[in-house]
Amino acid sequence: MKVNEVPQDITYYEGEKRACYALNDKGKYVIVTSSGWSAEEVVNGLAVTELAANLEETRKAVLTGLKSPLCYHMERRQMIPDILAKTAGIATFRVKRHFRPEIFDKLKLSVLDRYAKALAITMQELKTVPE
Amino acid sequence: MNTEMTAGGKPFVHHHSAHCESGVTSALFRDKGVEISEPMIFGIGSGIFFGHLSFIKWVGLPISTYRSQPGAVFRKAAKRLGGEFVTNRFRNPQKGMDELKRVLKTGQIVGMTTNIYWLSYFPNRFRFQFNGHNIIILREIENGFRVSDPVLDHPVDCLTEDLERARFARGPLEPRGFMYYPKFVNPYPDLKAACIRGMKDSCNMMLKIPLPIFGIRGIRSLAKKIIKMPEKIGFHEACRHLANIVRMQEEVGTGGAGFRFMYAAFLQEAAELFGSDDLGRLSQEMTSIGDVWREFAVVSARIVKQRGQAEDNFSKAGGLMLICAGREEALFKELNIVARKLKA
Repeated sequence: MKVNEVPQDITYYEGEKRACYALNDKGKYVIVTSSGWSAEEVVNGLAVTELAANLEETRKAVLTGLKSPLCYHMERRQMIPDILAKTAGIATFRVKRHFRPEIFDKLKLSVLDRYAKALAITMQELKTVPE
Repeated sequence: MNTEMTAGGKPFVHHHSAHCESGVTSALFRDKGVEISEPMIFGIGSGIFFGHLSFIKWVGLPISTYRSQPGAVFRKAAKRLGGEFVTNRFRNPQKGMDELKRVLKTGQIVGMTTNIYWLSYFPNRFRFQFNGHNIIILREIENGFRVSDPVLDHPVDCLTEDLERARFARGPLEPRGFMYYPKFVNPYPDLKAACIRGMKDSCNMMLKIPLPIFGIRGIRSLAKKIIKMPEKIGFHEACRHLANIVRMQEEVGTGGAGFRFMYAAFLQEAAELFGSDDLGRLSQEMTSIGDVWREFAVVSARIVKQRGQAEDNFSKAGGLMLICAGREEALFKELNIVARKLKA
């Protein structure tokens, strides 16, 4: 890759730049900052839209009463039950059980508090999902 | 390039680097007065690798990695350059933060492993649950820390609570507050011997592991898998897998083409150090292999975007990868011979 071939396509890094190694005109490697590459944008976009679509689906499931808000907030933090269980210090099978709304509603404050701390949100947020 | 002050009043020059771990390691060496570049650390620490771990899932997709396991570059480079490091892990987050503050007060900068999701200064698109991001803490500031993140081109501030979460995140590869700083660094390291050891080790890892998921064998088997992928798991699923492979190659702080350009930069620097034309030629070859990897990324992106309308298809992408495998095999075989002839 030459210096002038370093992609400067889109600035979706939100203003940040990343370093690329490229050859300058004397054939020496130098660090060049890149503001984004369209090929990377495509593959990264696929992953991001997929995550967003899953999250939206979960949000709707919560609103229709199929899942508990805990499930939504876990996905929002890009966690899986295993990670959430370890972070909150609650067994994985219990975490999965708490995805059922009827069980989540009956949870004690102390348990909710652990989830709220693990997910870095307030207790109020934990009980609701954005409309 | 930005200059910052550490707690001890010593200036610290922030260098923008491509990869977090090699960037942090080279910054720690530089802070101790050993001028060493990022690619040099990457090469000495034998960072270049390939592995396709279909049995480990990350966001539901298999992991393909273009470098050795997290922590290895730091460990190997430190050992080969004759540096002695203090490393700590903690069970108790409070103790971990206290120890960090204590070390910072002595004027020492500290490298540490964190979870990238909880570092809120990152753009949202980079944030995902990955417990292997390395950063340098420069000094304590009001309710936070001054951080030199080698992946960003300027130092940033990080809140204490964010840092604590990031250091003590749970899940695969838990950092458990891992922090490291040099106790003693050899001011005149034997660069040549270290380079040779690094090269030999890289050749072994790329050529000699008798498993079809690592090194050149790994690239080949993944390429063959890609060619058959659309028939096996359906077009949409195959696109997701392919996109993930490219993402690992280009996105996760690689300096382009899955670390291949960085390794070429290392070979170039080594060529100057040894005055060896062979290494210079190998560096050029590595660059053109990197260009093929880039082309693979472009073709894959087009497949994903156009849903296989054009002449780009999975056999073409897999074919490009096979070319990479063949050329890399030849390169590392030659490097193996060249490295053994070099005199330290």
